[in-house]
Amino acid sequence: MTGYIVRRCVAAVIIAIGVAAVSYGLLNFAGGSPVYAALGTHANPKAVADWNRVHGFDKPLIVQIGNYVWNAVQLKFGYSYKQGQSVAALLDENAGRTAYLSGSALVLALIIALPLGIAQAVRRNSVGDYAATAIAFTLYSMPAFFLGLILIQFFALDLHIFPALVSSNVTSVWASFTHPAQLTLPIVTLAALTVAGFSRYMRSSALDALAQDYIRLARAKGLSERVVLARHLVRNACLPMITLVGLAIPGLLAGNIITETLYNYPGLGLLFYNALQNLDYPVLLAYTLIGGVLTVTGNLVADIAVAAADPRIRLG
Amino acid sequence: MEGVPPFGSPNIPTTAPEGGEVALIASGWRLAAREFFSNRLAVVGLGIIVFFILFSFVGPLIYHTNQSLTNPLLSDTAPSGSHLLGTDDNGFDEFGRLMVGGQTALEIGFFAAFMATVIGTLYGAVAGLVGGVVDAVLMRFVDVLLSIPLLFIVLILATRYHATVISQSLIIGLFSWQAPSRLVRGEVLTLRVRDFVTAARIMGGTQRRLILRHLIPNALSVVIVNITFLIADAILLIAYLGFLGFGLAYPTASWGDMIGNAQTAVSSGYWWLVYPVGACLVLVVMACNLVGDALRDAFDVRLRRR
Repeated sequence: MTGYIVRRCVAAVIIAIGVAAVSYGLLNFAGGSPVYAALGTHANPKAVADWNRVHGFDKPLIVQIGNYVWNAVQLKFGYSYKQGQSVAALLDENAGRTAYLSGSALVLALIIALPLGIAQAVRRNSVGDYAATAIAFTLYSMPAFFLGLILIQFFALDLHIFPALVSSNVTSVWASFTHPAQLTLPIVTLAALTVAGFSRYMRSSALDALAQDYIRLARAKGLSERVVLARHLVRNACLPMITLVGLAIPGLLAGNIITETLYNYPGLGLLFYNALQNLDYPVLLAYTLIGGVLTVTGNLVADIAVAAADPRIRLG
Repeated sequence: MEGVPPFGSPNIPTTAPEGGEVALIASGWRLAAREFFSNRLAVVGLGIIVFFILFSFVGPLIYHTNQSLTNPLLSDTAPSGSHLLGTDDNGFDEFGRLMVGGQTALEIGFFAAFMATVIGTLYGAVAGLVGGVVDAVLMRFVDVLLSIPLLFIVLILATRYHATVISQSLIIGLFSWQAPSRLVRGEVLTLRVRDFVTAARIMGGTQRRLILRHLIPNALSVVIVNITFLIADAILLIAYLGFLGFGLAYPTASWGDMIGNAQTAVSSGYWWLVYPVGACLVLVVMACNLVGDALRDAFDVRLRRR
């Protein structure tokens, strides 16, 4: 087990370095150095060359990537000339709100998807099962912003229950927490899309578990159906979900961009969106790198958690 | 060849056995096709895709609309006899625009999926067949690309390129081949130790011939299933691009741009600029997913009904 964890961690570090290199290469390809943001679009070539030399942007790409990774490890992500702040400060300012939004959505999605999937498997091929499958399938095929627009139309414009845009007073995580109505629609939008992905897997995972011999044995022993489901089915059916939660991170990151833009909620997604509009390359690079590292970490943690939780997995 | 009785031995019945009809032994492809068409949802999905292809490409030939010159006098009019789904803020007929937008959505979806499939298939086949260090390096690179959310990559590249059908297809296609490459590699790893591949190699087949003539055709079923999901993902992705303001340049229409502009339409109460285009997107993506699920079941021998 220890050997497995060490091997997976080493692989994760290598992949994370690869993520940094690819992100840097992509940004370099898309726009290059932030020199024009710093000096203005009409800066003369001499000044540009000088600036690039001073800030290390004239070095070979591989050296630049090395420097960037070395700084990123120390949480130095450069300076956003467009916003006049260090990127680390910008990220730090927005990360909490995004973590709150994504975390709540993920928790809500799990609270809905786990019981739903199990109920669907237990009452498979019933009307309720078909209805839940159809709804999940539709949500799964739906762009996040379209669902968001429907929710805005219904709950904000028609019924006036929730606001269409998050109020600009919601500036801190604490404010997000104490004004639940403000964030209901963004959280529900993000959660609904996550549920759509989860419940399908949960249903098939529970179906697999239901067909196993230990369930038959538990029933044959004369245990009540409730005990069979609660003690024997749920724990085994939830195992594959650990992996799925790890895999949900890229979806949540992309979902954040859409949801935060749609509801005007100031988080990392909106920061990224604004950086795209301003061609604020240091911010784009930093968030892409962080997104990649989070994904790698999510997969790593999920793999180790599954190995630890499932006694059937024996690793050398 | 021990254990196999010589031809004509009494162990091999030359006539049909008695008692009951014997099912005709069809090829794998024909069995899969039969399985696919017996799945009602799959047929519905296929029907929706065919409908939208006709709607987008044949529709404009029947339903003539002006989609190139703006007309401020006609801006945001409600559905009526002359404009079945009203007009948008530029005065374009929304129903006609759905058709034109469908063209770009389908073109980009199919082209990007095709490109991703070709790249991924070759990449995965090489990785699986060569194996060893090359395989490890190639697949770690796939891991790296899979770790960066595709939307991030596509958005960053979209800031550089003027958006056209070709550029968007290229961007999406060049960065979504990871899934097919993994699938094909997995198939190749199991296929390469099979006897027919060994036989081809003993007969002096080159590596190129092995990949193109033996491995890829046999790995094709997983690839075909994956194409439909790639199309669905690509169509969703360009919708996201359009929504975030990186859609096709005016006056080219795309569903993503149309619904991207719909955010203001919702608050103004112009429902015809929101729900029809949203429904088109959902229907096409759902149809692709339905067809993909059905194809996967159809190719899966273990699920096949006898």
